[in-house]
Amino acid sequence: MLRKPLKLAAAIAALAIAPAFAQDVQEIVDKASAAAYYQGEDGRAKVHMSIKDAQGRERTRDFVILRKDIGDADNGEQRFYVFFERPADVNKTAFLVWKHAGSDDDRWLYLPALDLVKRIAPSDERTSFVGSHFFYEDVSGRGPEEDNHVLEEETDDYYIVRSTPKNASGAEFASYKNWIHKASFIPVKTEYYDANGEVYRTYSALAVETVGGHPTVVKSSMADERIGGVTEMQYSEVAYDTGLSEEIFTERYLRNPPRRELR
Amino acid sequence: MNILSSSAANRPGLYLWGAALFSLLLIALVAAPTLAPRAFPFLEPLKVDTDPENMLSADEPVRVFHNEMKREFALHDLIVVGVVNENNANGVFNPETLRDVYELTKFAETIRWTGEGETERKGVIAADIIAPSTVDSIEQAGLGSVSFDWLMPAPPQTEAEALAVRERAARIPTLNDTLVSGDGKALAIYIPITSKDVSFRIANELRAKIAEFDGDAAYHITGLPIAQDQFGVEMFKQMAISAPIAMALIFALMWFFFRRLNLIVSPMVVAMVSVIGAMGLLVATGNTVHIMSSMIPIFVMPIAVLDAVHILSDFYDRYPAIKDRRKTLEHVMKELWRPMLFTTLTTCAGFASLAFTPIPPVQVFGVFVAIGVFLAWLFTVTLIPAYVMAMPEKAFAGFGMGAGGETDHEATPLARFLHGVGDFAVGRSKLIVAGFLLALAVAGYGITQIRINDNPVKWFHADHEIRIADRALNERFGGTYMAYLALAAEDADDLSAVADAVDARLAALATPQAQTLATEAQALRGSAESAQAMLDALREKAEAAQETTESDDDWYAWDDALLALDAAAQAQEIFKQPEMLRYIETLQAHLAANGLVGKSNALPDIVKTVHRDLFLGEEDAYRIPETPEAVAQTLITYQNSHRPQDLFKLVTPDFKKSVVWLQLKSGDNVDMSAVVADVNAFIADNPPPAAIHHDWFGLTYINVAWQQKMVSGMAKAFAGSFIMVLVLMTLLFRSPSWGLLSMAPLMVTIGVIYGVIGLIGKDYDMPVAVLSSLSLGLAVDYAIHFNARARQLYETIGDWKETAKKAFGEPARAIFRNVIVIGVGFTPLLLAPLVPYQTVGVFISAILFLAGVATLLGLPALITIFKPILFRKRRNAHVAQTA
Repeated sequence: MLRKPLKLAAAIAALAIAPAFAQDVQEIVDKASAAAYYQGEDGRAKVHMSIKDAQGRERTRDFVILRKDIGDADNGEQRFYVFFERPADVNKTAFLVWKHAGSDDDRWLYLPALDLVKRIAPSDERTSFVGSHFFYEDVSGRGPEEDNHVLEEETDDYYIVRSTPKNASGAEFASYKNWIHKASFIPVKTEYYDANGEVYRTYSALAVETVGGHPTVVKSSMADERIGGVTEMQYSEVAYDTGLSEEIFTERYLRNPPRRELR
Repeated sequence: MNILSSSAANRPGLYLWGAALFSLLLIALVAAPTLAPRAFPFLEPLKVDTDPENMLSADEPVRVFHNEMKREFALHDLIVVGVVNENNANGVFNPETLRDVYELTKFAETIRWTGEGETERKGVIAADIIAPSTVDSIEQAGLGSVSFDWLMPAPPQTEAEALAVRERAARIPTLNDTLVSGDGKALAIYIPITSKDVSFRIANELRAKIAEFDGDAAYHITGLPIAQDQFGVEMFKQMAISAPIAMALIFALMWFFFRRLNLIVSPMVVAMVSVIGAMGLLVATGNTVHIMSSMIPIFVMPIAVLDAVHILSDFYDRYPAIKDRRKTLEHVMKELWRPMLFTTLTTCAGFASLAFTPIPPVQVFGVFVAIGVFLAWLFTVTLIPAYVMAMPEKAFAGFGMGAGGETDHEATPLARFLHGVGDFAVGRSKLIVAGFLLALAVAGYGITQIRINDNPVKWFHADHEIRIADRALNERFGGTYMAYLALAAEDADDLSAVADAVDARLAALATPQAQTLATEAQALRGSAESAQAMLDALREKAEAAQETTESDDDWYAWDDALLALDAAAQAQEIFKQPEMLRYIETLQAHLAANGLVGKSNALPDIVKTVHRDLFLGEEDAYRIPETPEAVAQTLITYQNSHRPQDLFKLVTPDFKKSVVWLQLKSGDNVDMSAVVADVNAFIADNPPPAAIHHDWFGLTYINVAWQQKMVSGMAKAFAGSFIMVLVLMTLLFRSPSWGLLSMAPLMVTIGVIYGVIGLIGKDYDMPVAVLSSLSLGLAVDYAIHFNARARQLYETIGDWKETAKKAFGEPARAIFRNVIVIGVGFTPLLLAPLVPYQTVGVFISAILFLAGVATLLGLPALITIFKPILFRKRRNAHVAQTA
C-alpha cells in the first residue's frame, strides 16, 4: 500500500523535470547554432578547402564566403554568398543562398563559362558541397527545430547532445551527437550515427580563434567512412560586422561579383 | 618378380596396412587444420579457389594492371540483383515491386560485419550501391529551376509515381539499360562488396530477405562472385557425386569382366589411395583446390585403374593354366613390369610438362596428376600383388578365363572377336593405314577450323540458375559482362607545353603585370626543373608583387595574372578538354555500332546529361560544352550530389586518366578479342587529340589474357612432352623405329580428337586444352603395352604372323578390357553439373576408344607393312640363334 504513492510521486517528479530539462537542451542547441552560424551581423572569410579521398588524392577549392543576418536575429533569416576563386576553371562560379528558418532555402547557382544563372529547386540539402565531404547543410547550418534534442551527458567542458530528426526520411542519419563547448557554445565535434548505431561521419573543429570578440572556428574537418577520406576547411581573413549591403545577395550580383567585398 | 612386387607379395600385410596408414595420415593432415584451424596453425587447411583471375599468377602484368585500375577507380566486385516482373504490364514499375526493391536496398545497405579477430569491415559497400533509391536524378523542376534529388527518395504510392521513376531513369543515359532495362520492364540493383569471398554470405542474406516479399516479381541474384561461389559448390558436388559414380561404374564393369568381387576391389583400392595421396599432398603443401586441381581425381582414377586392369587381365588369363597365384603373379609381373614402368613414365612426363605452362593452376594440376600417376604405379606394383597374396588361396577356385568349363581360352566371344580384328589388321594392313591417313588428312583440315574460345559463365549448364539469370539480364539490359578501357595521358615533356600555355594566357591579359610575369616565364622555360617548379616560382613572384601593391587595380591585375598561371597548369588536365571528350564520345558511338558492346558509360555521358538539364532539359543541349571551363563547371555541378565520388569511377581527380565502361552482351573470349581489335583499329584510324595510350582491364579481358597464355603454353608443353615421350620410347625399345611406331596411335588419337573439335565447332577451351596431355598419357600406354608384348612374343616365335595371333590373345584382351572399363566408366561425368567436367568425360571416353582402335588396328597394320625395318635386327638375331 505504501509503494504505490511512492511510484506516483516519482512519476510526477519525472514529468516535472523532463520539460525543464528539454527546455535547457533547446536553449543549448539554439545557442550552439547561433555561435556556429550567426556571429555578428555579417561576416566574411576566405576558405581553403582540401578534399582528400580514400586513396589520399587531394583536390582543393578556394572560395570566399559572405554572410548577412537579416535583422541581426540569431537563428533567423540569412543570406549567403559563396564565390569560387580556384581551381582556375571554376573561377567566378558562385552560389547564393537565402536561408529561411522553418522552410526550404532558396538557392541559386552561377556558372560563368556557361553564362548561366540557375535556380536550384528546393530539395535535399544533405548533398555534397562541391564534391567535398561537407554537405550544403553543414555550410549553411541545420535548423535546430528540425531535430529532437536530448542532453545525454554533461562534462566539465561540454554538453553532449543527441539529436534525432523529426522527419526520419529527410536525413540519412539516424541521429547525431554534438559536443558543445560550455563556455563558447561552439560545437567542436559531431558524430553521425546510422541505423545500425554506428558512427559513419565525423565533424571536428580543429582550431578556434577569437576574431572581433567572437570565438570562431578557423579550421575544421569532415570525415566520411562510407566513402572514405576527409575534407579540411581552413578559414583566413575572417572579419565580422563589415557592413555588407543586403543588395549584394541578389541574383544580379551573381554575374557581377562584388569584387571589392571579395578581395 | 622385381624386388618391390615380390617384397609386397611376401609381406602383404605390411604393404596393405602401410597404404591404409598413408591414406589416413594424409586425410588427417588435411582434416585437422581444416576442421580445427586454431589447433593446427602450422598445417595447411583446405582452401578452395574458384576465382578465374587466379588463372594468371598474381604478378602477371595484366592482372597487376587490373588490380591497380580497380583500386584507382574504386571499382569493386558486384553482386547483381535482377528484378523482373512478368505479371504486370509495367513490369517492376508498380508500387508493390518498387516498395520491395526499396526495402531490399535498405536491407542490403546494412549487410556488413567485422570478422572475428579482424579489424577491416566486410560486406556491402553501401555508399556505392546502384539502386533506384541510392542514385541521383537531375531534372527540370519548373520555373527554370533544376532539381538534384534521389531518383526514388521513397517507395511510390501510386501507379503514376512508379512509372515516373522509370521515366526519370530512362532520361539518364548512365542509368538507362543499366539500372532500368531498355524495355522499361525490369531493373537491376548493383551491390558492390568488399571482396569476392564475402559474396556467399551476402547472397544468402539477400535471398532470406527476398523470401519475405509476397510480391510477384522474380529476383535473379547473379554477378561474377556469385558464379564463383556456385562454381565452388558444384565443384564439390562433382568430386562428391560424379567421381564416386564413375568409380562405381568402373567397379561394375570390372566385375563384368573378371567376376571376382574380392579381387576387383584391389584396383579400386589403388585408385582411392592414389587419389587421396595426390589430393592430400596438394592440400597439405598449401595449394588450393581450384577448378583445375578439382579435376585431379578424375584424371588420376582412370590412369590408376589402367595398370591394375592390365595385371588383373593377365592374371585372369594365366591363372587357370598356372594354378598357383604366386607363380602366376611372377609371370604377370615379369611380362608387365617394363610396359607399366614406361607407361607411367610417359604419362608422368605428359602431365609434368604442364609445369612449364605460364598458368599457375595448370602447373599445379600437371605436377599433382604426375604425382598421382606415380603413386598409382607404386601402389599397383605393390598393393595388387600384396592383395592377391593376402586373399585365401581357395578364393581363386574356379577363377580365370576358361575356368567356367571352357577348355579353350581362346573360344570366348571376346577372344574370337579380337582374333578377327587381328587377322583383319594384318591382312588389310595397307587399307587400314590408308584409312588412318585419310582420317588424319580430314582431321588436319578440322584443326585449322578450331576456334579458340572460352567463357567461364558457360562452364555452367544452360539450365543452371546462373545461366538463366545471365540470359534474363542480357536480354533486357545493356549487358552484364564488364570490360574497362583505360585511357591515360602520355607522360610528355609538360614543361614546354605548360610554358606555352602560360605565354598564351599572359599575353591575352595584355597588362604590364602580365608582361613582367611573361618575361620571367621566358627565362624559366630554359632553366626550370619541371613545369611545377616553373609555376611555383612564377606564383611566388606574383603573390609577392600583389602583397606590396597599393592600388586596387594593380591588385586585380596581379590576381588575373595568378589566375592565368593556374589556368595554364590546368591545360594538362586532358580529360577536361572538350575535344578529348568528343573523341571518347565518337569512340563510344563506334562501339555501340559494332553490335558486341551493349552499352558504354564514360565521362562524356555525365557531362552531356548535366549540361542538358542545366539548359532546360532540351535534347540539343545534350552535348559537350565548348570550353574546358564549361566542362569543369558542369562537373562541379554534378558533384553537388549525394554521390560526388561516382565521378572518380570514370576519371582520376587529376583528369589525366579516364576509363570507358563497356557492358558486353557476351563473355565469350572471341567477342572480347573482337572488341579489343576494333578499338585498336579505331584508335589507329582516328588519332586522339592529345597523346594518350590505352589498355584494358576487367574480368572479361582477364579471361582473354589467360586463355592466350594457355593456348600458347599448352602447345609448347605438348611439343616438349611429345619429344620427351618419343625419346623414352626409343630408349624403351632401344630402337628409333619402334619409338616412332609407338607414337603413331597417339598422333592419330590427338589428330582426330582435335580435328573433330574443329569440325563440329566445339570451342577450344580450358578443358579441351588440358586434354591434350591426357591423350598423350593414355594413348601411348596402349601402344607401349602392345608393342612390348608383341616384341616379347616375337623373340620366342620369330614369325610376325604367329606373333600377331598371340598378341591378339591376352595382350589385346587387356587393352580391350581397359578401353571398355575406363571408357564407359567415365560416362557418369556427363551427369556432372559443370560443363568442363562433361567435356572431360566425353573426351576421356573418346581418347580411350580412339587410342584402342589406333593401337589394335593401326599398330599391327603398320608392323605388317614395316616389318622388314622393325624386325631387321631381331630377325637376324633370331636366325643366328636358330642356325
